Amino acid sequence: MMCLAKAIDYEDSERRSTLSVGAVILCPGSEGFDPSGLDVFGYGKYSNVVTSEEFERILSASGPYRGHLMRPLDREAPKKIAWIQCVGSRDINLSGNGYCSSVCCMYAIKESMIAKEHSHDELDCAIFNMDIRSFGKDYEKYYNRAKDEQGVRFIRSRIHSIEEIQGTGDLIIGYTDETGLIKQETFSMVVLSVGLRIPDSVANLARRLRVDMNRYNFAVTPPFDPAQTSRPGIFIGGAFQGPKDIPSSVTEAGAAACAAGTLLADGRGTATKSVEMPTEIDIEKAETRIGVFVCNCGINIGGVVDVPAVADYAATLPYVSFVDQNLFTCSQDTQDKIRDVIKEKNLNRVVVASCSPRTHEPLFQETLQACGLNKYLFEMANIRDQDSWVHGSDPKSATEKAKDLVRMAVARAGLLKPLTEKKISINKRALVIGGGVAGMNAALSLADQGFETVIVEKEAQLGGLAGDLTATIEGADIQRYLLELVDKVSNHAKIQVLTESLIVGFSGFKGNFTTEIMVGPGMYERKIDHGVVILATGANEYKPTEYLYGQDYRVMTQIELGKRLEAKGAEDLKTVVMIQCVGSRNEEKPNCSRVCCQSAVKNALHIKELNPDAMIYILYRDMRMYGLLEDYYTEARQQGILFSNFTQDHPPKVEATDEGIMITFKDHILQRDLIIPADLLALSAGMVAEDTEELASILKLPRNNEGYFIEAHVKLRPVDLANDGIFLCGTAHSPKLISETISQSLAAASRATIFLSQSEITLSAVTAKVDPDLCAACLVCVRACPYGVPRINEEGVSEIDEALCHGCGICAAECPAKAIELNWYEDDQVMSKVEALLKGVL
Amino acid sequence: MIVAEKKPIEEIIELVKDSEKILIVGCNECVTVCEAGGKKEVGILASALRMYFMNQDKDAKIDEVTLERQCDHEYLEEIRGRIDQYDTILSLACGVGVQFMAEKYFSTPVFPGVNTCFLGAAEERGVWSERCQACGQCILGITAGICPISRCAKRLMNGPCGGSTQGKCEINKELDCAWQIIIDRLKELGRLDDYEKIMPIKDWSTDRAGGPRKVVREDVMI
Amino acid sequence: MRLNYPSNIRIIRVPCTGKVDLIHILRAFEKGADGVYVVGCLEGDCRFSNGNLRARKRVEQAQQILNAIGIGGERVQMYNLSSGEGPRFAEFALEMTEKIKALGINPMKLAKMKKVA
Repeated sequence: MMCLAKAIDYEDSERRSTLSVGAVILCPGSEGFDPSGLDVFGYGKYSNVVTSEEFERILSASGPYRGHLMRPLDREAPKKIAWIQCVGSRDINLSGNGYCSSVCCMYAIKESMIAKEHSHDELDCAIFNMDIRSFGKDYEKYYNRAKDEQGVRFIRSRIHSIEEIQGTGDLIIGYTDETGLIKQETFSMVVLSVGLRIPDSVANLARRLRVDMNRYNFAVTPPFDPAQTSRPGIFIGGAFQGPKDIPSSVTEAGAAACAAGTLLADGRGTATKSVEMPTEIDIEKAETRIGVFVCNCGINIGGVVDVPAVADYAATLPYVSFVDQNLFTCSQDTQDKIRDVIKEKNLNRVVVASCSPRTHEPLFQETLQACGLNKYLFEMANIRDQDSWVHGSDPKSATEKAKDLVRMAVARAGLLKPLTEKKISINKRALVIGGGVAGMNAALSLADQGFETVIVEKEAQLGGLAGDLTATIEGADIQRYLLELVDKVSNHAKIQVLTESLIVGFSGFKGNFTTEIMVGPGMYERKIDHGVVILATGANEYKPTEYLYGQDYRVMTQIELGKRLEAKGAEDLKTVVMIQCVGSRNEEKPNCSRVCCQSAVKNALHIKELNPDAMIYILYRDMRMYGLLEDYYTEARQQGILFSNFTQDHPPKVEATDEGIMITFKDHILQRDLIIPADLLALSAGMVAEDTEELASILKLPRNNEGYFIEAHVKLRPVDLANDGIFLCGTAHSPKLISETISQSLAAASRATIFLSQSEITLSAVTAKVDPDLCAACLVCVRACPYGVPRINEEGVSEIDEALCHGCGICAAECPAKAIELNWYEDDQVMSKVEALLKGVL
Repeated sequence: MIVAEKKPIEEIIELVKDSEKILIVGCNECVTVCEAGGKKEVGILASALRMYFMNQDKDAKIDEVTLERQCDHEYLEEIRGRIDQYDTILSLACGVGVQFMAEKYFSTPVFPGVNTCFLGAAEERGVWSERCQACGQCILGITAGICPISRCAKRLMNGPCGGSTQGKCEINKELDCAWQIIIDRLKELGRLDDYEKIMPIKDWSTDRAGGPRKVVREDVMI
Repeated sequence: MRLNYPSNIRIIRVPCTGKVDLIHILRAFEKGADGVYVVGCLEGDCRFSNGNLRARKRVEQAQQILNAIGIGGERVQMYNLSSGEGPRFAEFALEMTEKIKALGINPMKLAKMKKVA
């Protein structure tokens, strides 16, 4: 098969090459656990037992069943689906993977919700689990919706067996419920929620690179330096560091980039090339001369559409001065030809009839710029993806459609005007709001890369919530880390720390912010100009009102317990009871606070270390020891710490007596009430966002119902805010562990350097502008803009700052006085296509 | 501002169905702000009417223009040059503009395209509510800035009626009882004593009830 | 994905369906289009926050107007999908074409044909 463009070198062979680099980032990822050969699940034996990965494909519109929910054996629509959690995770017997894969609970809930949506009839979904680990930001709310609104059933049981009913394809699951009763239930299909494991190839790669791994082949990273592997200069992020979901993976990718960027800060810009573009020709007075290039795309277009006929037709259209056909319009030699033609024929607008602007518009626009033509004088007609590829069975209609599309494109091209892309300079200073672990790490990362940073902290000292913490569950000393961190920050030449300071004013846009701050006990005003903002306002431990907290000295929070153990040890503690989910997962505060389960286990293990004879009971609703934390949960049980489950509607009862705090709870195995007299009752109080109401209104930033800031995109932009140039990290985003906070603060710093590393940025010219003569100052655009950009100016008319405008055009369509036009999508430019298409019809 | 609402298109069609040359005139003030009769609405109505006539096999000339206001002579004069080309004017201005247009262009039929509703304010985008009935003798100074004439269903002057329940009006549970708001606000301002004062009988001579009104300002006329 | 769909559809690109003005929709019919459909992001997932919700309101307004003047509000529809759902786009294209075929051509075209005859 000869490549028509001659782009393939058939003589090519494998080559070894050596690259000299300053840093390596390792993101080799994970793979789904393969349950083949494990008898108990019947995978590979029974057709209607599938893995979650296969189920995702079944649900996908581009999957094997085109998005129709069917089961593999007979393609029937399932009536009942069961999910089996923890397949290849939390499992020492069968797979040896003792860790939790972190993502399976959420993806199983998602799959069941989507399956219900895709199902024509009622679909019964049951998820067999040990704990439901919906610990991420707002994840608990999704779990509640599935449970309470959609009727997804959650059965707490590690199933016994799966057997197929001969001839039907249905499957019987045998299991015991929490009371010990043996049950059986029939399902149309079963989905195995497989965990994540590190592929052997990745483990081998790590060994060759001398990167240390733990016993599960996940890379080992220090708690306070989560992007760093055992080998300096090799950074990692993502699932290879531990099983995690997309937002965390994206965050860690940013952290790895930051760590690499900090290491290589001196080399920034030394190996990049810049492209020189010729000065733009002024075409204002010139008559419109359009060049049309019709592409064959090999046989992709030419095989269906009569390209010569389309080219001939194009030549008859108004203002067309030149037409050409190409085999591959996007190839380098055609670009050269186009450039020559533009210059020779004095073309001042170009239409390419080929494929999708999504992939090829920038390429052709560069060619225009290389000839001194403004890149907005370009239009594409998609006669491939919108034509030859989808009307392959009807070449005649496809050709007619191609002619129509070209006619429409030429009509619009004739009305296109050159647009200036505004360049704005970037102030290379960063403002970090919040001087806790998150804020300080972000500031250090930026300062180490040479950027001046100012930290604004409202308390008299740096440190935030970490000031109250003692050690991580791995045993790392938080106080010592904090001292070193504060020391580094306070003595860094590029960091300025303003304590006891409050933000009172904020204005500007990306690269050019101005913030007014009232500084210090003297409350004197300072105005700071900066290019980016990093929000790190943090969170606090919930102050409980339940379970006698504040009324009895023997009842304390986990943070208080941690400090107590440091100060007084645990000799005098014979019996300790801990209650989970205090101030979380309830009506008022519906979300999970993520850190409390590990906090409880950490303190429990610490007590056992200090006093091996102590009896410890942890009363929980779900034990959310996700990822590599699971091993600590296993360790805790092996040390004799007892765990008992309670439900939300049947919480433990607490009474203060002289003999101790009497805690009454119903044990889920014995199904009886037990009363434990405790020397100490530790409440796993959740996290509450710092009060940022005033700050949020000054900065005009959105927060969710729980007071945490809302990121631009939950999965793909977890540290960006929708407003360009403002970033978010730490517990201001959502509750998280200290190493997750550090990761996120590095990621925020990394995103900030995208702005700070440039002297100026070029904005898109696709922005809206108001004609002040037509504006009625009615405020519709001010209210309609999702980004709050239009402002009524001193002249009393609406004004849109092109540096802030996102180019959506909502204001243009809403304006009752038709005073707003969106550049490049002006009304007549959009309508010209309609008019050209329907010319002569009526 | 004056709040108006678009007339249903069926009603407008009924008015102009026998016309052949229509000029649709919008207004760039109040009706633009309440999204009923600005340049945008003019364009939409024009397109709709063109299609209606085409569909009826009728040839109709439908033109569009939006004036800054229709309650000032100078702006209405802007169309004098072309008024003879039309047999109908469809004005999307408030009742004031429609009438001024009709007075000025005496021999051309002028039809309204909007219903003028009340003097009001925008509580939020898309929601306007009545605030003033133009009684000509503003008493807001003694009612803590809340008007019992426009906001009390019975226009009571000395406190709520017996039907006021939990701060809502007895004729419509969605309506706030104006007097409740007045009392709350007087309390907030520390002027609850004002509530005890009996308001004298209102001089309604300046209200519409006495006939159409006029304001003449000698000081600006020479 | 090269899925087949009817060839009588012409696509006009806008940055967000929030940019599609009511007048654009009406003008298309005024010029003789038989059907207009507006395709935007899934509700709740608009790239620009809520442009697709605005578009839906305008489509509903257009439907009311087209019904009142006898063109037929069914001829304009709003569809929501994500950019990863190629097969659904093809489905919508088919659905819209069948709907318009059932409704017949723009009645103004019939009126014009009668006049010419």
